Amino acid sequence: MTLSRSTRRRAGTALLFIPLSAYVAFLAFPLLWLLSTSFKLPNEIMVSRPAIVPKQPTLENYREVLGPEGVVRPSLNTFKVSVAAALLALAIALPAAYALARKQSPLNKAIIGWILVSQSFPSILIIVPLFLILARVALSNSHVGLIFVYVVWSLPFVLWILHGFVKGLPVELEEAAAMDGASFPQILFRILMPLLLPGLATTLLYALVNAWNEFFFALVVLKDPDLVTIQVSLARFRGIEGLARWGPLAAGSVVATLPALIAFTFLQRRLVSGLLSGGVKN
Amino acid sequence: MRIRLLLVAVLLVVLASTAASTGGSAPVRVRFVSLAWQKQAVEAVKAVVADWNRANPSIQVDYAQVDWGSIHDYLQTSFQTGDVPDIFHYESIPILDFAKRGFLTDLTPMISKELRADVLPAAWQTVLTQDKKIYAIPYLWESLIIIYNKKAFAEAGIKPPTVANPWTWDEMQKAAKALTKDRDGDGRTDQFGAALGLRSPVNRVLNLSMGFGGTYFYQQGGRTVVYVGDAERQLLTILMNMLYVDKTASLDGIGRSSPELIPGFLAGRYAMLPGIGVWARQQLVETAPAGFEWGVLSPLKAKTQYQGSATQTLSIPAAAKNKEAAMRFIEFALNRDNMAKQALGDWLFPTRASSITLPGFRTPQNGWDVSTESVKSLRMATWQRVLGYNEWRTRLATPLMNELFANRITVEQFARRLESESPEILDRYR
Repeated sequence: MTLSRSTRRRAGTALLFIPLSAYVAFLAFPLLWLLSTSFKLPNEIMVSRPAIVPKQPTLENYREVLGPEGVVRPSLNTFKVSVAAALLALAIALPAAYALARKQSPLNKAIIGWILVSQSFPSILIIVPLFLILARVALSNSHVGLIFVYVVWSLPFVLWILHGFVKGLPVELEEAAAMDGASFPQILFRILMPLLLPGLATTLLYALVNAWNEFFFALVVLKDPDLVTIQVSLARFRGIEGLARWGPLAAGSVVATLPALIAFTFLQRRLVSGLLSGGVKN
Repeated sequence: MRIRLLLVAVLLVVLASTAASTGGSAPVRVRFVSLAWQKQAVEAVKAVVADWNRANPSIQVDYAQVDWGSIHDYLQTSFQTGDVPDIFHYESIPILDFAKRGFLTDLTPMISKELRADVLPAAWQTVLTQDKKIYAIPYLWESLIIIYNKKAFAEAGIKPPTVANPWTWDEMQKAAKALTKDRDGDGRTDQFGAALGLRSPVNRVLNLSMGFGGTYFYQQGGRTVVYVGDAERQLLTILMNMLYVDKTASLDGIGRSSPELIPGFLAGRYAMLPGIGVWARQQLVETAPAGFEWGVLSPLKAKTQYQGSATQTLSIPAAAKNKEAAMRFIEFALNRDNMAKQALGDWLFPTRASSITLPGFRTPQNGWDVSTESVKSLRMATWQRVLGYNEWRTRLATPLMNELFANRITVEQFARRLESESPEILDRYR
């Protein structure tokens, strides 16, 4: 008995889905585990064979983390700080990347080298001088100060990535647009920006996630409990000797993960559309 | 029009006077960084802060929580930048180092006579510098106890020892043998007599060695040297026998911390958890299934029941802005009842003699009565004052002990290597 071509194709596709499903399950397992733990009480978490489906699901952990002293305010603080830091980093990095990519000079090469070197600085090394600068300009213990720190921290990498994207665009496109009478802002916003969308989305995501997950700078810069960010807030549930309040920690982590997941979903679509628009124009 | 102007003028005067009076009586703000993290403990600390703030409008305490994992970096950075909390919660071991580096306020002249007299001398020892100064008030401490499964003991016909007549290590080993069982006859042990969390074993081994008279660190011609003599080897030999000769201690403990063994204990895999901190009782209360009965045994007796302990402390940085107000709050937060409240919240012991006699610490419920008696065994950990201890522990003692407990080297080899390799680290700190 011979199978038709379409049946064979369908069977092949079905077979392909098996490893793909296994891979997705592998990737999703930590999230599922997190979700499961967030609905458990300690007597279901600290057992030798924990189950993925809670036997007695509870909302107690969510009640605690969504309460007045929970993670809602820290999440909003984090959202504000990380979005502002990411946009600001991008706004500074884009023209800088353009200049570095388009103007060839020994100085630019030195600057690129310095950007690479600055990536290797450990945060503990720069926190003290950075904090002293912030204190001098009255920006310690403030979100503006933390935004400034995050911009400084993510700028080298954002700049480096964008520099690569700009360099990858043929300069002839700009020359052709100029020949057609386009002004520089028109070239920048109507020709280059659509082509740079994938790069912008990538760097924005990087800067956003970097700021969202950052812990140490937030811990040191923000002293007022009302200003703390989500990572600092979640650390309150960690104890000593590997102990933690796992239920509230998991529930808080779920709440903290949601905005990042939403941002990813949205930016991922932009990233794909940016790629496509770049392809059409080329 | 005139009336309006007059009204506006009166309003401005009232506002100005209000602003002036508010400015004049603005309360002193004291920033207090706490490490309490268990729900009950956090509630206890917040209640103390709220009580103080209600009773003292002129000195308002701002509570902030930092976690144990980041406090060291947080404080180091704070000391370097000068943006310090007025009071911080930490533990006695790093405090001595901070004091030596000039980061802390000398509290010796600020401590009230009442507090000085009531805190137990052994607790003061943990914070006393070599020049007899005090930079931290010790207020919480813990002992290492044994938690046991009552049903397993009853099945094996073992009568738990009393506080007055505690077990020796030999007696515990015999009990562990009787408790080790292959229930289904498949040749594999289903219930071990004991399990010891040996993931970071150094502090625990050194603390428990004190009962054998083992101190590990000795002074020799102005140098600190490590000597692993008979007193130090006894505990190591007992543990190795339980793990690999009698096989009464589960190998699960290697690479796991004590709290990670609690699920196995509750599942009936281990009948005893020796050398576990008193705070672990809270985990049991929260997680034990209905009907699971557990109890607490006193520390085991070697030559003595002594065990080393560090304390949790409150300190005031040298750069703090409101030292006097901070000290007043500390005295309030550590009065008899408040210290007891915080200790109960953390399932630890208060260091005040008057607090520890309160009924909360004497009830048989959740093993408080037996646990509290173990306070008498607590002594300052011998290693606490050793310069370079942290590096010695991390770089040398921990890897060597891990090799020992994995049965890759013998006690003799461990002793020789520890003695010969220690000077390389310790001599740098002379």
